[in-house]
Amino acid sequence: MAKYIFKRLGTSLLTLLIILTVVFVLVRQMPIEGYFDNFDKLDQAVIDARLNQLGLKDPILVQLKDFFVGLLHGDLGNSARYSVGVPITAIIANKAPLSITLGVISMAISLILGIPLGAAMAKSKSGFWDKFGTVFIVFISAVPSAVYYIYIQSFGSSLLGFPMLFNRDDWRTWILPIFSMSLGNIAYYAMWLRRYMVDEMNKDYVRLARAKGVKGSEITMRHVFRNSFVPMIQYIPTSLLYTVSGSIYIESLYSVPGMGGLLVDVITRQDNPMVQALVMIYSSIGIIGMILGDLLMVVIDPRISLARKESSR
Amino acid sequence: MKWTRPNDALAAPLEQAVERHVTDGDFIVAPYNPDEGERGGYSNYSYWGSTLRCFLKDRVAVGFMLVLVALLLFTFIQPFLPQQFEANLIIDHPITKRQMSNIAPGLTNVVAQASAGTELIVHPFDNEEWAAVDNIITSIKARKDFTVLRYGEDWCYIAYNGQEGYVRNDFTTKIKFPDDPTATPYTAKSNFALNVYTGPSDMSNGGDALFCLKSQLRLEGDTAVTTTDAQLRLLPDTRPFLFGTNSAGQDLWAKVWSGTRTSLFIGVTVALLQSLIGILIGVLWGYVKSLDKLLTEVYNVIDNIPTTIVLILVSYIMRPSVQTLILAMTVTGWVGMARFIRNQIVIIRDRDYNLASRCLGNSTGRIITRNLLPYLVSVIMLRLALAVPGAIGSEVFITYIGLGLPLSVPSLGNLINEGRKMISTSQSYQLVFPTIILSVITIAFYIIGNSFADAADPKNHL
Repeated sequence: MAKYIFKRLGTSLLTLLIILTVVFVLVRQMPIEGYFDNFDKLDQAVIDARLNQLGLKDPILVQLKDFFVGLLHGDLGNSARYSVGVPITAIIANKAPLSITLGVISMAISLILGIPLGAAMAKSKSGFWDKFGTVFIVFISAVPSAVYYIYIQSFGSSLLGFPMLFNRDDWRTWILPIFSMSLGNIAYYAMWLRRYMVDEMNKDYVRLARAKGVKGSEITMRHVFRNSFVPMIQYIPTSLLYTVSGSIYIESLYSVPGMGGLLVDVITRQDNPMVQALVMIYSSIGIIGMILGDLLMVVIDPRISLARKESSR
Repeated sequence: MKWTRPNDALAAPLEQAVERHVTDGDFIVAPYNPDEGERGGYSNYSYWGSTLRCFLKDRVAVGFMLVLVALLLFTFIQPFLPQQFEANLIIDHPITKRQMSNIAPGLTNVVAQASAGTELIVHPFDNEEWAAVDNIITSIKARKDFTVLRYGEDWCYIAYNGQEGYVRNDFTTKIKFPDDPTATPYTAKSNFALNVYTGPSDMSNGGDALFCLKSQLRLEGDTAVTTTDAQLRLLPDTRPFLFGTNSAGQDLWAKVWSGTRTSLFIGVTVALLQSLIGILIGVLWGYVKSLDKLLTEVYNVIDNIPTTIVLILVSYIMRPSVQTLILAMTVTGWVGMARFIRNQIVIIRDRDYNLASRCLGNSTGRIITRNLLPYLVSVIMLRLALAVPGAIGSEVFITYIGLGLPLSVPSLGNLINEGRKMISTSQSYQLVFPTIILSVITIAFYIIGNSFADAADPKNHL
């Protein structure tokens, strides 16, 4: 098992290097105009000086070498345009904890609500909960999130009296952003759990258990639920990452000073060092998340062995 | 898997027995004939026929199918219907040239009714059919004194500069009254400019003239009297603003349908291209074992390159346009489809029937097109159906981060994005209408896709 994990980490490191190189080369193909706020008004000398200062005039291989050398020393560099001259580690250390807290709470809520909803839907096939859940899922996946977020904000603040903007010290301002963030994940978990459980319920061993006289609730809890939860487990680490990095609408709606949308922001402003640093962070978390998901699966279901060749998935 | 001969000692007497009883004419070699082969399996069963029959049983899905078809047809028919505005036309007031912005939705553009005998002021407007009229006698500048002759809750009858008429008395005018406003006459003033009307009703478009058919008026120089009940309209035109107008003074009805057309085109094209590339690569990835490792690494790399970078680069190379969006969304979207297909193929790749097929010497191409893909039709259809609203949704996101289509090319994305700014004002209809259309499209594709996937699964036939 340990050998397997080491091997996987080794390949992941290689993947990460390739990702970073590709992104590094890609951002250097960006339009030069993007590095300046008022490109048209500057003369060529100023532009050249600035490009030199950003290190963009060097041959790309030299730039790449400098970047990886810096990386090996644990130096992510300084922000070039987002907040000029500030070390990137400082920016991220300032923003990440809040986003991670919000993301973790919202994930916990989605699991607490989404999983019972999915289970109830599977149990009451075409009963009340199934219909209720289906309507909910269809609604959440049909209405663009950008739109229902605004409605939640405007109704939550006008009818229920929650504050419009986020404030770290006032717990009431946490409710609406977390609620909005959770809705999508609740629907997602409910939908997949229902599907896996329905598939599982049609299997022969369930029929056998029922024929043996095992109580219905026990079949659902001990057999069907446990087996259906295995594929779900894999999503959890990755979906936490998406919740943290993808809360761009919510963080801008409630002006949360977090990391959501930071990547998009620095890409559109062409802050190359920030883009590279964020891509590195997100893809390493993504890759580790995938490994973690696989390991969690093994913990839950001892029949799965990752070390064996040709795993079933 | 190789078929090996059973024990030779056993086989020899068997062969002798066969040689003894079978003569050359007893058997002939049957040439391979696929049609005959198909016929032998299941008589009178047609896969697509059963799928269709199964699908038609789902009332809700069929209902949504009809709605979707109607919507699709309507978006294409709409520009050819009579009484439509051009989507990008900025509608001005014909006299003052002010934009007709933020007009609330309505079934007609009649904003006031004048009963027979109402006196109206005529403004110069050169038109055979229409006259520009309102009932504003004069206007009072801000902070000018006037005399209140009769006090009313909503309207006051006043005198100013030798002319008498009505002024509005509400939060828009904020007239300063004495402690007992009913003890007329007295002098009052307002901090705002006031319009003085001939009667206690506002027959103007915020001070601009309205339009009335000349046949309903008796013109007497600068004034006119209505001969019948006359409709006063916003424009010398009977076309209504069904969805209102936006802040630039464009007809939202025309813009929404034009945007639906654009978004559906983007959605369908992207979904088809993504599926095509995704299926091709996904099948290779899943079936050809030697490619698996390589493609998995390629996938990991592509999946971790932020979509936004690709979007910016593509729109930098090409100008922001529908084609650019389609290209960018296809380039970033096919990996998800490929991975999905790959996972499905891996699951069924080594099932016995495929093994048997391979042993019988079928080519990889034939196994893929005859064994694997038909098995996946239902899930592919579901993905395809969900990819359309998915693409429309990511268009909304791309517009949100500022890389979308220019406003002169209406799409549901930029309409929703413009509407979002109006959410807490009385113009929230500018968000509501595009959102409703988008939601209907998404729900329809979702439900039809799910129902079709169920119907296409042969386990649900019979």
